[in-house]
Amino acid sequence: MSKQYQAIVVGAGPAGSSAALTMARAGLDVALVERGTFPGEKNMFGGILHRMTSIEELMPDFWTKAPLERHIAKKGTTFMTAEASFNVQHETVNFDRAPYNGYTVFRPRFDRWLAEEAVKAGATLITRSTVDDLIYKNDRIAGVSILGRAGQIKAPVVIAADGVLSFTAQKAGLRRPKFNADQMAVGVKALIDMPREVIDDRFGLVRDQGFANEFVGCTGGVRGGGFLYTNYDSLSIGLVFHLASLRVSGKTPYDLLNEFMEQPQVAKLVRGGRLQEYSAHVIPEGGYNMIPELAGNGILVAGDAAALCNATGVNLEGINLASHSGILAGKTVIEAHQQQDFSLKTLKRYKERLDLSWVMKDLKGFRNAPKMLHIDRIYNEYPELVCSMMEHIYRIDGTPKVSIPKLVLREVKEKVGLKNAISDALTAWRAL
Amino acid sequence: MNIDEIFDFTSFTIDREPHIVLDTAVCVGCDNRGCTNSCPARCYTWSEEEQKMTFVHDGCLECGTCYVVCHKNAFTRWRYPRGGFGVAYRMT
Repeated sequence: MSKQYQAIVVGAGPAGSSAALTMARAGLDVALVERGTFPGEKNMFGGILHRMTSIEELMPDFWTKAPLERHIAKKGTTFMTAEASFNVQHETVNFDRAPYNGYTVFRPRFDRWLAEEAVKAGATLITRSTVDDLIYKNDRIAGVSILGRAGQIKAPVVIAADGVLSFTAQKAGLRRPKFNADQMAVGVKALIDMPREVIDDRFGLVRDQGFANEFVGCTGGVRGGGFLYTNYDSLSIGLVFHLASLRVSGKTPYDLLNEFMEQPQVAKLVRGGRLQEYSAHVIPEGGYNMIPELAGNGILVAGDAAALCNATGVNLEGINLASHSGILAGKTVIEAHQQQDFSLKTLKRYKERLDLSWVMKDLKGFRNAPKMLHIDRIYNEYPELVCSMMEHIYRIDGTPKVSIPKLVLREVKEKVGLKNAISDALTAWRAL
Repeated sequence: MNIDEIFDFTSFTIDREPHIVLDTAVCVGCDNRGCTNSCPARCYTWSEEEQKMTFVHDGCLECGTCYVVCHKNAFTRWRYPRGGFGVAYRMT
């Protein structure tokens, strides 16, 4: 088997399908190659599909067509210890009307739908196919080979959208052969079955409203955080750990996830639920500083493969960046076909397009955020400080009260140290 | 959640041929063995008694953690499973 296409996209995730959709709509003959039995089978994420402005441009009524779960109308942050928690919540009617600010989704459904949209536009979806290597003709990329299968898929240009470890980009020499564990995290997630009415009552939701909560202080001192998102009739709950920190901690993701779900205040939220599925994946969290070469002769890199993930600690964005980069990669390939030139000279327009877009502007703007997230005190001392301070403020036990400024100063000195607190505040200020 | 029961709540189509192959002799000399605690599916187990690393790919979630945490380059093969094999998420 050997078939000639005008472009190959490796990976039918949000980046790949967005690229294939863009190119197919312009009339290119595109092969969208996916290793799963269907797109989305291998994909998991922490949880929120943020607003997809780039998809909205391709499909103005995106949110009425896509298989989405609840829209996020309410967001929360919890600072917690083994015994206590302090919550901050934000809710606005502005996030409760279209165009919505974000949704929970199931990746095996959403990714499959997006790939089918590319197919409707004319792309050829080839599933059950793990790309093994790039093939070259006269020193130029000429297609890809498939693991365990004879034959090749041929095209003069390849878009590597094969996820965080992107072996396609590595084989093209665009990413470094070794990852830095300081720039990588792993997310683990439990999907918990729960009746819709219980979720509505428990989290104060009506209609299709959804709630998204992030947690700090729930990772046993390992750098990372927790999340809880509401789907229609299930909860997504999980933890994210920085790998350099997890590796030396001796702790395991599943034990820490169990401890998290058993913490008294979290246990109340998941009570009565039944575990449906457990999943895990690595996340590129190094931000701007870990982005590989984005283009080479005959190849472009998009999505997680290009480390286009914005983990600032406030929001964790990935799919929206992936989709936008896929569209820009697709546009660049369309242009390359018009000029019949697939060399870096033409394809580097992709990087220029990305640099001008919000994707790179955001990543560049928050380039110091990973540094802030490396402050270990965020994961233990600060949540303890917040919870202990609130307990002192609320406690009424017949002893004279300490004034709040005095209390804050005392607690900061005791739990963190004044010098550390000032230095951390400066780092955070610069990062955000 | 008991990780030993991973096959009860996550689906796999297991390929007889492993997609990850480990040179366990390298692991004997490793000072860290971060894979044993970091792997979310507990695919790696170190026996202190036998001084031996065991890797089983059956319940591998294909997450990439071991690929990143192994600093000894102990893999003689690290690739994704052949098309159609490996973990199969339904609704995550």
